[in-house]
Amino acid sequence: MNNPAITVLLVEDNDMIRECITAYLEDEGFTVHSYVTAEQALERIVAINPVVCISDMRLPGMDGESFILKAHTLCPVTSFLLHTGILYTLSDELRDIGMTDGDVLLKPIHDLSKLVKRITHISVTGRG
Amino acid sequence: MPPKAEMFFKSESRYRMLVENSSDIIFSLDFEGYFDYVSPAWKNILGHEPSEVIGHNFREFVNPDDIPRCEDIFMAVIRTNSMQEMTYRIHHGDGSWRRHTSRVNRHRDENGVQTIFGTAHDVTERLRFEELMTQSEKMTMISGMAAGMAHEINNPLGAILQHAQNIERRVSANIPANVQAAAEVGVSLDLVHAYMEKRGIFDFIAHIRSAGIKASDIITNMLQFSRRSDAGAEPVDLSTFVDKVLELAGTDYDMKKKYNFHRIELQRHYVADLPPVLLSVTGMEQVLLNILNNAAQALAGSDLPHQPRISVRTRVAAGMAVIEIEDNGPGMDKKTAQRIFEPFFTTKEIGVGTGLGLSVAYEIVTKGHHGLIDVSSQPGMGCCFTVKLPLQGVA
Repeated sequence: MNNPAITVLLVEDNDMIRECITAYLEDEGFTVHSYVTAEQALERIVAINPVVCISDMRLPGMDGESFILKAHTLCPVTSFLLHTGILYTLSDELRDIGMTDGDVLLKPIHDLSKLVKRITHISVTGRG
Repeated sequence: MPPKAEMFFKSESRYRMLVENSSDIIFSLDFEGYFDYVSPAWKNILGHEPSEVIGHNFREFVNPDDIPRCEDIFMAVIRTNSMQEMTYRIHHGDGSWRRHTSRVNRHRDENGVQTIFGTAHDVTERLRFEELMTQSEKMTMISGMAAGMAHEINNPLGAILQHAQNIERRVSANIPANVQAAAEVGVSLDLVHAYMEKRGIFDFIAHIRSAGIKASDIITNMLQFSRRSDAGAEPVDLSTFVDKVLELAGTDYDMKKKYNFHRIELQRHYVADLPPVLLSVTGMEQVLLNILNNAAQALAGSDLPHQPRISVRTRVAAGMAVIEIEDNGPGMDKKTAQRIFEPFFTTKEIGVGTGLGLSVAYEIVTKGHHGLIDVSSQPGMGCCFTVKLPLQGVA
């Protein structure tokens, strides 16, 4: 409950998933901004300047990977987590911007407290 | 006919040479089915001396189920005087059944004696290969469906799991927003909590979560299909590796508690000097554990009059490393054996097995290692799984 300074940006087109992750993170005290598409998120990301950005892989329009690469150029300090429903091997481009295998979250996340731990860890270590 | 050819066909010794050097079996039998001639190839292909065959009836060698079909073909040959083709199972001297294809026709010699003569060759491997190909195509199709389905199910599953978690947390007094909202509507959060506890609501939520996690584990298994992972393949000494898997099996909870693994006698026959095999250790562990699990379950699930036993053998055959895992359990019928590698095929009660273990093993062996996996079994005769891995490395 001591996370209000940590701003999280969430991109997820599935309404239920977006709502439940947002609810959980807000209960934990994070400030959460959520968007349905990568394009909407890109319009706002500079103003929000989130500590952590969680993006779904499959999105209408721009996909999660392209979104992260683009968002990274806009907010180089933000750390990115990729939320995906398929077994996914991190691309070289995403590794080049500092993402590791631990930044890939496999759907469904069984326990959201693990996501919280990951976000707080990132905010403490200042990775990004 | 040119003079040379004429001479050739007049020479009985030359004819004999052709017949006796043929790699196919050449045979002739009378209308009652007694062999009056078989060529030396019979011994090479089926292991019996020609003297053990000549004078005997074909019914002594052909699988009883296939005899009526052969009789029909012979009748057709006699009636129509035309060449016919037939495939049947025939007994090999080593006790196994081989599948042969034969072309037969009738012949009347100069003395008016009538016989049925024919050529036969072994098609066991070819038919087996064709069946494996069909199986493999089927698996490819199913695996595509599985991957698509898994992806579609992950989001609703995530919503179930995570909303259940949110429900739990929204009645917790540790979250200030909860305390505030409770105060606004004039209830005590502690009392709400106590009520939910008393009525078992937290248990229900916990059950939703554990059921969701179980479903999610099944989906994760299904996704293994779309994964062609040969990353991380390393050269491995097969005997050491198999020993390690057997050790793992001995510590597995299900194996220990449900199937009394310690009561099963383990026999190991490892061939010496087996060259290292390139394999993905975790993948192949999963394959062997699944097979062992299946064997242990079969042995535990039936009252056997003998000591339950699993034999594990390694050897080299035709450029491949071979691992055989054989149990002396109740075995299975042909239909079950044919379907055992299909996803969701299970003979176990609902809830006992997902029917995915062996299909995942199939994918790992065939796609991940370019190997072969096969099962042979008969009711009451135990069950033997064979895994063959290429020795020349993984492509």
